[in-house]
Amino acid sequence: MGLKEAMKRKDTGMVDKVIDKLSKSFEDDRISTRDTDLISYSHDYWPISLHWMLEDKFPSLPNAVIWPQNKEEVKEIVKWCYKGDVPIYPYGGGSGVLGAAVPERGGIVVDLKKMRSLDIDGDNLLVKAESGLNGYYLESRLNDEGYTMGNIPQSLYPSTVGGWVGTKATGQFSTKYGGIEEMLKGIEMVVPPGKILKLKPHPRTSTGPDLRELFVGAEGTMGIMTKGWFKIWPHPENRIKLSFISERLEDAVESVRKIMRRGAKPAVIRIYDKTETKRHFYEYEEIYNKIATVIIIEGDEEITEAERSIVEEEFVGEYKGEEPVDHWLETRFNVKEASEFVPMGVVFDTIEVAVNWSKAEGLYHNVIEAIKPIKGVLFASAHASHFYPQGICFYFTFAGAPPRKKDPESFYQQVWSEAMKAVLESGGTISHHHGVGRQRKDWLKEELGEGLEMLKKIKEKVDKKNIMNPGNLGL
Amino acid sequence: MPGKWDWLKDELSGLSMLTKLPTMTKFLKGKISGPADMTKCSMCPNMCRHACPISIVDGKETTSPAGKSRIGMMIENDVLSLNQENLFPIYMCLSCGCCENWCPFNFSVSEILRPIKKRAIEKTIIYEEFADLFDDLRQKGTIYGEIEDEKNFSESGDVLYLRGCEFREEASEVIDKTMAVLDKVGSDPFVLSDEECCGIPAYNAGNIGLFKKLSETMSKKISETGAEKVVTSCPSCAYAYKELYPKFDQNIDAEISHIVEFLEKKEVKLDIEAVQDQFTYHEPCKLVNGLGKKDSMRNLLERSGLKVKKPRRHGEETFCCGSGGTTVPRLNEELSSEIAQERIQELKKLSDDIITSCPTCKQTFESLDEGVQVHDVAEIFDRFL
Repeated sequence: MGLKEAMKRKDTGMVDKVIDKLSKSFEDDRISTRDTDLISYSHDYWPISLHWMLEDKFPSLPNAVIWPQNKEEVKEIVKWCYKGDVPIYPYGGGSGVLGAAVPERGGIVVDLKKMRSLDIDGDNLLVKAESGLNGYYLESRLNDEGYTMGNIPQSLYPSTVGGWVGTKATGQFSTKYGGIEEMLKGIEMVVPPGKILKLKPHPRTSTGPDLRELFVGAEGTMGIMTKGWFKIWPHPENRIKLSFISERLEDAVESVRKIMRRGAKPAVIRIYDKTETKRHFYEYEEIYNKIATVIIIEGDEEITEAERSIVEEEFVGEYKGEEPVDHWLETRFNVKEASEFVPMGVVFDTIEVAVNWSKAEGLYHNVIEAIKPIKGVLFASAHASHFYPQGICFYFTFAGAPPRKKDPESFYQQVWSEAMKAVLESGGTISHHHGVGRQRKDWLKEELGEGLEMLKKIKEKVDKKNIMNPGNLGL
Repeated sequence: MPGKWDWLKDELSGLSMLTKLPTMTKFLKGKISGPADMTKCSMCPNMCRHACPISIVDGKETTSPAGKSRIGMMIENDVLSLNQENLFPIYMCLSCGCCENWCPFNFSVSEILRPIKKRAIEKTIIYEEFADLFDDLRQKGTIYGEIEDEKNFSESGDVLYLRGCEFREEASEVIDKTMAVLDKVGSDPFVLSDEECCGIPAYNAGNIGLFKKLSETMSKKISETGAEKVVTSCPSCAYAYKELYPKFDQNIDAEISHIVEFLEKKEVKLDIEAVQDQFTYHEPCKLVNGLGKKDSMRNLLERSGLKVKKPRRHGEETFCCGSGGTTVPRLNEELSSEIAQERIQELKKLSDDIITSCPTCKQTFESLDEGVQVHDVAEIFDRFL
């Protein structure tokens, strides 16, 4: 649907009334129905929506965009939208890759990036951050004060704190610092029909089910996060960089399993299969065509030295020094693929999943073998990037050119479908940290079973009119 | 050593010709002809958002770096009309060049979008806020029109000091002090009594025709002085003369330096024991990113013996004063002022005495009524040398 057609909406009566109401409280530059703004919020970083952009299609245009500055304004937005049955889509950095922020049913996009205050509480190792705060801004402020939160996703530069919580994100240093769910100690939410809910940042509390979990990974379906309290750490005094090459993926994976069993927690562990080793480390002849592993251990000096010993004792592979780790550190934010390939008609995406150790090898091979034979696929590869005593996250990458008579979206969905099937059959979970969004919702039933019905019932109680990001997560 | 794309060749080698041929063709075509920079930028998830002052303070996708490119792409594709409303986000750029530091393709969003601004100007789609500026530049050769009551300076010497529109109109005392400093470091400075604007405000606004005209004028005037060395107070002027003029076939033979670059080359020691740790500093974006002098200002101050307090955002992460790039302060004064506030509050935490080396930054911070003293680097050198 082109822009002009998309603009010819059916019945927008209630939406217009709500926009009129809100326009009385928000200045002109904080509420907009301008074409440029509606287009800008009609997508996130879901590859499907990138193709829409290139093809001048606008299937998901919001009716308005609004930029609140505080929780009271968020409350007012939710109140009016609830009264008028108008869908709301909370928006952070727009770097989500599964369409979670795509306003598929029209309505109002609420961009939280003007809410960006932070307060560092070093004594209690907590940071309070408003949901629109930029990730890099937060981490660099913490670093300047001698702390780290340790959440360093590849989207650190464009993403926001609220987006991290909403998508249940995790970062490159998660093996030590954990995912955002472990960092989040307290949360402030605005929930339908327009109430503020605050869960305080206690060190621990035994007061019934942990309601924070209801909002982590809810992707905007349960309300709008306005503030979070996160745990922080003193900035690591010591950093150890190690790399290895192995002949077989299994050797590297088994080595890390043993390291994790012994209680060592390197901040970063990344194992690349042969294709990805060639792609990322082509400048290192000795590494090319091997299985490369890069490891970063950081923290207190004595602890890190003990962890180094464990890694060196357990790793089956040839030590390759610090240089490959430095190379990874230097290039880890080079996000170029979509820019280079998508405009040329190449369909490109990543799929991250997790699985217990005993099924890891099987899942890796099953997914690669499920994707590769699909007509049009050029390559499928993976690296493992987040580790737990119980298992591993595999991060698959595929690219392909849709065969003749097949449009990019159907080709893309075919690859996803085969990959998801293979993951479920191999005993894995369909998502490790990107979330569900609109792309993965159809596999949620198989993933959660009866749990999905429970989730739907909770959603009905929290948001009776289903105004909060309707359609997302299949809710 | 294997090549960058060898891994892909290896992957493709196992595929049938039928599968790989169309992609290989697309890939090769793409490598040769594009995609266009604007398209590439549009496909990025804003990996420079954190460095863009507009994006951080305005907080809108529409004015984010990639967001602006997406609007540009829609205008190019005729999805959006070329009109003032649609152009507005494109003009929300401070031309600070911070995006370039973080871009894997080294793109500058202001450069990527310049052709659209140029097309708008050529089609006379001109904001009234720019019209007076263009008239003043065209008719009087400065951004302030006629500059009155100017002091006379020597018109011959060995270093041509180009004062710039801003100091000529707003802070002529800095001109006196810069002349004095140049003298103290052994130069014989002189000025062009009929100095005109370098043209960068026109360039920033997309009026390339006017920029060319001004660049021809100034290039000729500078060359006619026969000066071998040219010094500017304004980093944007230095950037224009050094980097932009050659791109428009205006080559100036003289060695052009911003005052910081010029003084950096001198072995100068300041007599400043009493004021150690009194000052903080603000590095102008055009000095840092335009001229590539990432740490020159701090180096100059510290090597001269002045211990200064380092701001949180410094060097290549310096944060624009909010008035850079000509267009934002004219079209969106509120946003410009918010950015200035963000920066001044950061600096004020360290000191109310701020050293900078850009007339625009100085004027901007002084106008905020925040009780700060903003010193041009030449004022500091004049005082303590």
